[in-house]
Amino acid sequence: MNIRIYSWGLLVVLIGGWEAFTRLSGLSSLVIPTPSAVVEVLWGGLTIGYLWPHIWITTIEMLLGLSLGCGIGFLCGVLLEENGFLRRLLWPYIIASQVVPKLALGPLFIVWFGFGMTSTVVITALICFFPLLENTLTGLHHIDPQKRELFRMLGATRLQALLRLKIPSGLPVIMAGVRVAVVLALVGAVVGEFIGGRSGLGASIIAAQGMMDSSLMFALFIIITLLGMIFYQATIVLERWLLSNHLKGSDP
Amino acid sequence: MSFVAIDGASFAYQGGGDVVDRVDWTIGEGEFHCLVGRSGCGKTTLLKIAAGLLPPTQGSVHIQGLEVRAPKSQIGFVFQTPTLLDWLTVMDNVLLPVSLKRAVRPGDRDKMSELLSLMGLDGLTARHPFELSGGQQSRVAIARALITEPLVLLMDEPFAALDAITREELQDDLLHLCDMRKTTVLFVTHDIAEAIYLGDRVAVMEQGRIRHDQIVDLARPRDHDVRFSAAFNAQCLEVRKAMNNPVTEKSTP
Ligand SMILES: Nc1ncnc2c1ncn2[C@@H]1O[C@H](COP(=O)(O)OP(=O)(O)OP(=O)(O)O)[C@@H](O)[C@H]1O
Ligand SMILES: [Mg+2]
Repeated sequence: MNIRIYSWGLLVVLIGGWEAFTRLSGLSSLVIPTPSAVVEVLWGGLTIGYLWPHIWITTIEMLLGLSLGCGIGFLCGVLLEENGFLRRLLWPYIIASQVVPKLALGPLFIVWFGFGMTSTVVITALICFFPLLENTLTGLHHIDPQKRELFRMLGATRLQALLRLKIPSGLPVIMAGVRVAVVLALVGAVVGEFIGGRSGLGASIIAAQGMMDSSLMFALFIIITLLGMIFYQATIVLERWLLSNHLKGSDP
Repeated sequence: MSFVAIDGASFAYQGGGDVVDRVDWTIGEGEFHCLVGRSGCGKTTLLKIAAGLLPPTQGSVHIQGLEVRAPKSQIGFVFQTPTLLDWLTVMDNVLLPVSLKRAVRPGDRDKMSELLSLMGLDGLTARHPFELSGGQQSRVAIARALITEPLVLLMDEPFAALDAITREELQDDLLHLCDMRKTTVLFVTHDIAEAIYLGDRVAVMEQGRIRHDQIVDLARPRDHDVRFSAAFNAQCLEVRKAMNNPVTEKSTP
């Protein structure tokens, strides 16, 4: 028997249980809406179309923040790995900045960049920056010493060693960083909108909260989950493609 | 005139004693020298010093009269482990030394195919290293070292992972190739018979020093029958005895 059938069956049971619970318990639908109400709101929002602009905005913020954060994080990682002086100089600061809760900087960014997309993108980028920086540093650093010797023996330049040895061999670790960043990017975008967004899924949740519309909140929650899953799957596909030439223990 | 000259070279790893201790050795042009010795006696370290990968703490290495301070392109090196790049195909691994220098030409591809078939690896060019057996991987590494036609070849137990038959075939191929190209070779091995079969001269190393230096005066080209000759066995026995000797007996220079 296929385990997937059970997985889907479990979902049906959970939703059925939820529906039964909300109908029989007599709790106010303001506290917990029935699944059917949530689906109705969701369906309405998607067909009438008022949810699409919000989905679109959050997606763009996430993509922008993700690519900015990953790009800059990767480049900084390469720079610090190649320049030992810079690395030793900046290391304490990098450690310090890692423990700062980046979302707590949200209000400051609103002062700097105003309400709206820019501050959300900046927060998202900042959150994505660190996993990429750290994984790039780790990935580029732990190279088989024998392979380094091979490249020295072959008279490779530093740039060649970077592009043809270090980055390809660190790629699995770097891609693991990207996967972490994707998950964090969605958190960053949604919470960023909580703090400083005018539109987007996070801002819509705050608006729904203001109207005590818990069905809408659940509908938005489902959309965010789906969005996250799509991005995560896309990353996995990208990773498979990039690493298809690497030795992999688990995948056949 | 010596082609490779190692003069009083010593080396100590960080915080350790001398692993290579004032080694003198010269190899004439086109000669094939073998280095044997127990595990951990410093063979790999000596080979890396000769390659310019490790700077000697004392002494020097000269190739064609020029001091070796860093790895040079006329030296080919075969590491003790295959050290292939997992993300490249066999073909790209073999062509790596070329592609780091310049664009790969069709002639290079021909040479690669030729070397791979010499190594008995026809039909595996499109595979990745993790799809090869250990012995196949080490043969790819040998092909990679040969593609640039280096003047000097430093080989660290290249045949250790091979079965007896394949090994004998590759020994003959290597001798033939080096003879054709007039390559100067320093070849590390654990196998005394291999050292005698391949070498013009055999050095026995012990605790960082060369303890024994033996000229192998068997006629070339050597064929498989020579392995069963009395002269061959006498040569093996001499090396074997030198390896057995306690340090004190031969240590006076
Ligand atoms: N990177 C290193 N750091 C410290 N010590 C080392 C290092 N590499 C080797 N050694 C030590 O130096 C000695 C000589 O090592 P080397 O690799 O030259 O031996 P070897 O003769 O090649 O041995 P084998 O036949 O097992 O390959 C050994 O005792 C080893 O423990
Ligand atoms: Mg060794």
